[in-house]
Amino acid sequence: MALSPSVISGVVHGPRGEAVANARVYFTDGPVPLPDIAALTDRDGAFSLTAPAPGKYVIECATDEFAVRSQAVSVSGGQPARLEIRLKK
Amino acid sequence: MATKKKETVPTGPHTPISSLSKEAAEATTPEESVSKPPAEGKDPKTPKPRADGAESVKGFKTKVGPESAMAAVYKAPNTSKLKDIGEASFGPPPPKAETVHGPDDRIKITTTSIYPWRAHASLLITAADGSQWIGTGWFIGPHTLMTAGHVVYIKNSGVAGRDGWVRSIDVMPGRNGSSLPYGKVTSRNFRSVVGWANSGDENFDYGAIILSTNLGNTTGWFGFGVFSDADLLASVGNISGYPGDKPAGTQWYDARRIANVNARKVYYDIDTFGGQSGSAVYRIINGGRYGIAVHAYGGATTNSGTRIVRPVFDNMVNWKA
Repeated sequence: MALSPSVISGVVHGPRGEAVANARVYFTDGPVPLPDIAALTDRDGAFSLTAPAPGKYVIECATDEFAVRSQAVSVSGGQPARLEIRLKK
Repeated sequence: MATKKKETVPTGPHTPISSLSKEAAEATTPEESVSKPPAEGKDPKTPKPRADGAESVKGFKTKVGPESAMAAVYKAPNTSKLKDIGEASFGPPPPKAETVHGPDDRIKITTTSIYPWRAHASLLITAADGSQWIGTGWFIGPHTLMTAGHVVYIKNSGVAGRDGWVRSIDVMPGRNGSSLPYGKVTSRNFRSVVGWANSGDENFDYGAIILSTNLGNTTGWFGFGVFSDADLLASVGNISGYPGDKPAGTQWYDARRIANVNARKVYYDIDTFGGQSGSAVYRIINGGRYGIAVHAYGGATTNSGTRIVRPVFDNMVNWKA
């Protein structure tokens, strides 16, 4: 089956809007098997994950300072998607 | 498992490749293979495993025994209409593929400086584009750790400059949060196979990290082997690793009976999360820990790893030498 990868880019912010570096961002659900790897956000809180096929994905973000946060995002036809994750205490 | 005296180099999709130039790779390739059984390293204090094939970990009460026991634990079969995770990529699933993800049974390992926990390593991966990732590796020899192919070689990311061999990996055996009982070793020397690096085929998603030190002599390492379908289906699979949803750098363990196998994959309901790519899926035989697969993928209905079949085994033997 031919798959069309889409790049899901995003940024992780803390409660006051500050960028959160070294947050762990990973898929928890999707339409196909997904590599069990986690991205770390950079100093600007940015990350990008590859969604290998069209469909709905759930992305989770964990840190040692804030509560774990999950967000869903849908991608189609290899189009990029954008996500902002706002963490809470 | 027979010991080979002559090096066997797999061909086809299992043809091994290296992050080093040919000359550099040859310079670091030892002349002889070493044995495949596990070694427990120095002063291992290895806990005796449970009789049912799981590790003996305080607080880990999951029943992993006969299927009847499993049924008692997971009463409600999941009749979700979700497709089997393998179906999307590989066509029709193998028989008996549909199983249930039960409650999260993972338990934190606090004694990470004893074997077998210290033979697992937390990985900090820096990709070619500078992005960073976390994963897991496991020693199979004095200076070799196995991991997923996508940990050492990124394929089809869609991000400019990211694909290809990763820039470096920091290997932290037995890590427990901020504690690094065996320090940190940075490697830029990796192995994978053309089936992964050229084709991005999930069936060939495995690789290795070569260290410049013999740290494995201290931590110990896993044995590994090729086993029949029936043998694997009668086995309890154990996985420990460094998931991203838990406090940074902490090691978590779970075990359950192997749910299914096909010619190149092993399927299981052992709980994992992002960051555990590359973990050993291992069974315990007469107290020895033997890798049977390399954990690589999570999914809605089952998780899966690359099965150690003969070509994988041959590459592992060569890579650990």
